[in-house]
Amino acid sequence: MRDLAFLGFLAVILGMGFRRPFIFVLAYVYIDIVAPQRLTYFLLNSVPVSQIAIGLAVLGWAVADSHKHTRITFRQVVMILFLIYCGITTTMADFPLPASDKWGWVWKSLAFAIFLPFTLTTRLRMEALALFMTLSAAAIIIVGGVKTLASGGGYGVLNLMIANNVGLYESSSISMAAICIIPLILYLRKYNTIFPKGWPANLFCAAFIFACLLIPIGTQARTGLICIAVLALLSLRSTKRRFLYIFLMGAAAAVAVPLLPSSFSDRMGTIKTYKGDQSAATRIAVWKWTIDYAADHPLGGGFDAYRGNKIRFETVSSSEAGGQVNIEANVVEDKARAYHSAYFEVLGEQGYPGLILWLTIHVVGLFRMEVIRRRYKKRDEQNGQWMGSLAEALQHAHVIYLIGATFVGVAYQPFIYLLVGMQIGLDSYAQRRRAQESDDGPEWRAAPQGWGKQPHWTPAA
Amino acid sequence: MIDTFSLALSHALLFYVAVRLMLRPDLDSEESAEPDEKTKGFGRRA
Repeated sequence: MRDLAFLGFLAVILGMGFRRPFIFVLAYVYIDIVAPQRLTYFLLNSVPVSQIAIGLAVLGWAVADSHKHTRITFRQVVMILFLIYCGITTTMADFPLPASDKWGWVWKSLAFAIFLPFTLTTRLRMEALALFMTLSAAAIIIVGGVKTLASGGGYGVLNLMIANNVGLYESSSISMAAICIIPLILYLRKYNTIFPKGWPANLFCAAFIFACLLIPIGTQARTGLICIAVLALLSLRSTKRRFLYIFLMGAAAAVAVPLLPSSFSDRMGTIKTYKGDQSAATRIAVWKWTIDYAADHPLGGGFDAYRGNKIRFETVSSSEAGGQVNIEANVVEDKARAYHSAYFEVLGEQGYPGLILWLTIHVVGLFRMEVIRRRYKKRDEQNGQWMGSLAEALQHAHVIYLIGATFVGVAYQPFIYLLVGMQIGLDSYAQRRRAQESDDGPEWRAAPQGWGKQPHWTPAA
Repeated sequence: MIDTFSLALSHALLFYVAVRLMLRPDLDSEESAEPDEKTKGFGRRA
């Protein structure tokens, strides 16, 4: 039954794409996030739905879209270079088989992010993309949120419909993505032009954000807690009544902490005592190994180069008994431990050139969003305020990702590259609007009205 | 049960978005650009 429902849904959405080709792009985004082929037992799981959707999306854009404003941007060029570089390191990888497996999905994620901005030519398209991203993620987040409320969840035990850790169904990735999309949900709540306003939509937004906040509790991924803290800090920037906000946050935390499951509080407590925690000590040991590895292999070892590591580290734990503090040190040996950090993942796999390209993609994004935010945020609603607010939401999501990524190996997570693609699309759109404004802006009033070019629209006084 | 509820709700909303997009000429072109449409938002406005 579920299989038929998914099949029907996809058939209808793809059918709509033949009338409005941009819907093919949205269909791909949906398939990328929800992975309906993994949720079904027959029919869809044997059809390459993802390839069909991307093929139709590119074809639809090439045939039916206007290419009048198609320009390649700096960040797209950097992403193309990064993609080529990853391809080269894959051919010389330390572990060719796992490397080519990973390349199989990484190149798609990067290539789609390079293509996506070309299709984002109107405000409505960006809004539709944001809605498809958040609502597709909602399919997973609502499940996680409700199950956490019902059972309290647990590290590695929260069942998010798919048992294997793929894509956003992996607990650390979903904890980070769930917090990343909160700024986007808040943006859509205010600026969307598709859903009618009123209490049902407000209620849904509130419940959705609540479910997002429950995901780190349900998965007990410590990264999620750090992401929530970053979100709380970032929200201070866009809050008018800061003291009231801080007071309300403090009050909410005071109410929430006693209600958290004790297993969650215990696990989060290990952030402070990381020296005694094997998982944290492993990370630090792997990071040291990666720095040494990059010194020997500055051009990178290809995807999954971590498989070659052998690490040895000490954990220190203290216990108190009879007024005496006993400090116990244990030496642990381990091998083939994953990076557990996007930064070290890129450094080990793509070396310093790859790390520079990867950082450029992300840091330039933060900077460009800040430029748009400052330019448009203070305007009135009819004059592009939404661009400032969308830039702010995308920037906040990106900062949350970049901080969360310190502790999770999510350097190539497709969801983040959708955000990057949307940032580039918004940037190009804003530049176009700016050029149009300087043509038609306040100066046009003084220009002769005769038979010349007429203004597209009248700027508000 | 929870899985079905979550999938049904999210897919119904995605479907609604797609249908609304079909009816909007400004999906593909803003050539007849008017000032930005006044946002409806979800919230009640002052």
